[in-house]
Amino acid sequence: MTSAPVKKILIVEDNELFLKLLDKHFSRAGYDCILASSPSSALTLLEQQIPEIILSDYEMPGMNGFDFRQKLLTNKKFAHIPFVFLTAHSSDGMIMEGLGMQAVDFIDKQTPFPVLTSKIDNIIHTVHQTQELNTEELKKAANALNIKSVPDGPPQLKGFNINFWHKPFQDYPGGDFIDFIGTHERYTFLVLGDVMGKKWQAWFFSFGFLSYVRSAIRICIIDQVYSPARILEKINNVICYDEVLHDVLSSISLVMIDNETQTIKYAGAGDLPLLHHKCATGKTEKVESSGLLPGLMKDGRYEEQQIHMQKDDILLIFSDGMTDFRDETGKHSNYNGFVDLIAPCVIRENSFIFMKTAFTKRFTPEAQVDDCSLIFIQKK
Amino acid sequence: MIISTEEKKGHLLVTIQPAEASLNNAEEFKSAITQLLDKGEKRIVISFEKVAYIDSSFLGALVSCLKYAIAKQADISLISLQKDIHNLMHLIRIDKVFSIYNSFEEAIQN
Repeated sequence: MTSAPVKKILIVEDNELFLKLLDKHFSRAGYDCILASSPSSALTLLEQQIPEIILSDYEMPGMNGFDFRQKLLTNKKFAHIPFVFLTAHSSDGMIMEGLGMQAVDFIDKQTPFPVLTSKIDNIIHTVHQTQELNTEELKKAANALNIKSVPDGPPQLKGFNINFWHKPFQDYPGGDFIDFIGTHERYTFLVLGDVMGKKWQAWFFSFGFLSYVRSAIRICIIDQVYSPARILEKINNVICYDEVLHDVLSSISLVMIDNETQTIKYAGAGDLPLLHHKCATGKTEKVESSGLLPGLMKDGRYEEQQIHMQKDDILLIFSDGMTDFRDETGKHSNYNGFVDLIAPCVIRENSFIFMKTAFTKRFTPEAQVDDCSLIFIQKK
Repeated sequence: MIISTEEKKGHLLVTIQPAEASLNNAEEFKSAITQLLDKGEKRIVISFEKVAYIDSSFLGALVSCLKYAIAKQADISLISLQKDIHNLMHLIRIDKVFSIYNSFEEAIQN
């Protein structure tokens, strides 16, 4: 189910007293009100934040409501925002002209406030319903094509417990991708990538990246090159010359598990440092890599390292959605905050279950700001 | 506007206006910087003094601008990054490809 978004309304009204009254009533009805006393200040405010709906007066100094609407229609960032006229001028001719500008409704200023808020509620509800239906259709199409950017389940390995947690932003498929690639009995590759972007566009490009990653791994294995760094080099070389993907950026964390020697090699490309919890010392340490985002430069500076894991040690690979969140003061990016979040979980038995609970509590629809993905590896 | 610009000591100082640099304004930012580069700007200093949060979509746009600048033989440096943003750029190694300075003066000296 899609989460209920915050209802944000932009009210444009030059009469200060009436603007205050609208603010009071919409705030009471649960709206976050952005107030503008003129179309020009509304346009400035729109640069800062996008509301769910715009409610605008017609007669205002400088630019009237129709001119304001025309201006919004010429800007693709604002043209799609549902627009409602609220005015004392409501002749049939004017209403026709207003609705002709793709305004959703034309409401008389004399309308009682409870009726006005109900009307706006209904419009927002209808818009959300349509969006949800479209999303469902797209999801169905993606499922029919059997394209997935996250696997159904983790691989079962002899020496390691593997698991993962994934929560797309606002329930839309997004730019994070996870894959587990077993080349043969001996090697298993764990891939976590994050295409910079959100929702459908990023989701689409995530398949391009995954294809390159899969191909590069297969080619390296055929050539008997068992090296995450060399694989990233190959991916980088291809993306640097790819006309479609060279402008789309994605981080990649690549871990190779040797099931025979029970060892792990890791190389990263513009990814966040992994976290290694060492049972013996009780400490959680960063595992940093040197590699740049694929496609950024021909020399991506990819180097790999062996990660020495002892029994019960935990290794976490994660996307930046896990370190970003929103609270009452705004959006934040806090890597150390994520380390604090998992600290009480990693010291317990069944750590992954406790982590999942902590993530579910942290990443509520209000707090989550990006796709969240994490791969959990524990040495048996 | 997503950015304000000011000619200063032979450089173009570009200040990002929104406090949240995110998916909502990433494309607009990219197009604004691309236009400046197309006009022939060679030395651009981007100020983050007003930015409190940056998401990966905006980082992607920023990196695309840098790649375009390199192709145009122009130079982009970043200044006045708040601590969290600077930390993020360091963690994902973007600080290895961008010149990052504390202030405009420091940027133009280098």
